[in-house]
Amino acid sequence: MFRKILIANRGEIALRILSACRELNVRTVAVYSEADRHALHVRFADEAICIGPPRSSESYLNIPQVISAAEIANVDAIHPGYGFLSENANFAEVCEASHITFIGPTPDAIRLMGEKDKAKEAMAAAGIPVIPGSAGVVPDEESAKEIARDIGYPVMIKAAEGGGGRGMRIVRSAKELIPAFRTARTEAEQAFGSPNVYMEKLIERPRHIEFQVLGDKHGNVVHLGERECSLQRRHQKVLEESPSAAVDASTRQKLGKQVVDALKKIGYSSAGTMEFLREDGGNLYFIEMNARIQVEHPVTEMVTGIDLVKSQIRVAAGEKLSSVLPPVEFRGHAIECRINAEDPETFTPSAGRVTAFRVPGGPGIRVDTACYADAVIPPYYDSLIAKLISYGHDRAEAIVRMQRALDGFVVEGVKTTIPLHKRILADPDFVAGKFDTHFLERMPALEAKAKAK
Amino acid sequence: MAKKSTPQKLGSSQIGGVDLQEVERLLEFMAKHGLEEFEYERSGFRIRLRKPFSQPMGFSRAVSAPDIVIAAGPSGHAGPAATAGATSGTTSSGTAAPDHAGEAGRAASEDVHVVKSPIVGTFYAAPSVGGEPFVKVGSRVDEGQALCIIEAMKLMNEIESDVAGEVVRIFVENGQPVEYGEALFGIRAHRKK
Repeated sequence: MFRKILIANRGEIALRILSACRELNVRTVAVYSEADRHALHVRFADEAICIGPPRSSESYLNIPQVISAAEIANVDAIHPGYGFLSENANFAEVCEASHITFIGPTPDAIRLMGEKDKAKEAMAAAGIPVIPGSAGVVPDEESAKEIARDIGYPVMIKAAEGGGGRGMRIVRSAKELIPAFRTARTEAEQAFGSPNVYMEKLIERPRHIEFQVLGDKHGNVVHLGERECSLQRRHQKVLEESPSAAVDASTRQKLGKQVVDALKKIGYSSAGTMEFLREDGGNLYFIEMNARIQVEHPVTEMVTGIDLVKSQIRVAAGEKLSSVLPPVEFRGHAIECRINAEDPETFTPSAGRVTAFRVPGGPGIRVDTACYADAVIPPYYDSLIAKLISYGHDRAEAIVRMQRALDGFVVEGVKTTIPLHKRILADPDFVAGKFDTHFLERMPALEAKAKAK
Repeated sequence: MAKKSTPQKLGSSQIGGVDLQEVERLLEFMAKHGLEEFEYERSGFRIRLRKPFSQPMGFSRAVSAPDIVIAAGPSGHAGPAATAGATSGTTSSGTAAPDHAGEAGRAASEDVHVVKSPIVGTFYAAPSVGGEPFVKVGSRVDEGQALCIIEAMKLMNEIESDVAGEVVRIFVENGQPVEYGEALFGIRAHRKK
């Protein structure tokens, strides 16, 4: 086991890693920016080193500063948490060159997963279903017709160079195809300087479902079931749960095995997440892999009883999965609400001093946070201030526990997304498990409801 | 934690700019009020005191939130970020600077400028092992003159003075690890005429 770990992160995940280290009897080194001088990860770590000014590009993202801190503190490993340097292959390489263990996948695995097209190719080659589509740019109208016929309508035409909706067309039938193909090319040319477009199957009413995996350095990989992460706003997850109401035991087993086999092939050796889109009919297609521990890992911890962060550290130290993990079993249901310092209506960040902070507890409630009364939420970093996790023997119990926990969660001084979560938990469609990634867009304005109360 | 401002009248015994009598008085104040932890800040001076049993483990020098932290503020006359607790191995030896923390207010008007470390690394006073240090207390320096080396990731970074003046204080010792923003030198700037 490692002697001393540097935690290259801040906020709740830095504390989460700190807790894991304490339980493993490993000493900890916190790094912090000038804006985080009074942060809890600084106070609770065995040592703390200031690595730069508030801007993360000059502190938490500054590789030379982080590595220098690791060297003067003489650590044998660095845990990057999520965000910041967690999926930076170059950083993982610098760690290796400095004889410091990077607690995460190999630089090659990070690099592969960082290039989405290549990751998709590799996964398709390893037998994972991917969204059917053109293999690259659609050269002409004849090929467009052929490809659309093969993958089946509706299809989506997307600009190869772009994003943001321009050069994008949804086509529902063969007779719409050619005009749509032409306008998409024209738009793409005007917006991105290249008329290149590609085509893929349109996934209607998609649900975002992901599989948690864990690999070791001896070629072993397990999956720890799925998480349902369809409740998103602008591609940011808002609420996650495990298991998913849309995944049955046989799908879990079948896809889980495919995932494990594919990751063994590429030699994946840490915690990671395989993300899928589920189409209305029930098929799941791989979209990307996150090569890190994720924000929503606690819901998996609750239903499996496995401490993912400790396990991740132990496999990084060379232990085998068989000695780290108990037999994997799934029990009960867990939900996580991300409490952000944001206006629940406009979603603009709400930085400032927290004047009151009361955390709920009781049966089946877990709160991961680095916030406290009198803490200042700096404007430089992300707005997550707490993760509220509920556990119940089934989904209904997890929901009622979450509802009463949200009612007992008091944050004053900054605005939070707690009111948003109260509304989600009270929504009949949510309670019935009927939703997709567009659920939050359809939710009527919060403020109107709040005022009506 | 308690934050409290008390009127200042300081003695003269000090180590590296840390006024021991003042620390003694603060410790008595903590004992009298049964405080486990105490943080106190005023211009150019910050101190945090914590009873030994209220912390889980020892801290190492300079890279930690140690038992007692005394950090130089903008005016720079306070001591180094020195550990003065039971776990302390090193405390900056006196650098013969006559000023002490109590004069921080006055110091501001004396144009003493603090050169802080722009990077995390290891401080070296001399360009080579066993060589003559770049500067000593009393040295006259020009703007842009090298003051020390900070080694980071095997690279030697020369730290230059950003003012011209006289070195009145060296806050760190040769070979010591330093963090971002740590006070390195106190330089009394030459008055512009």
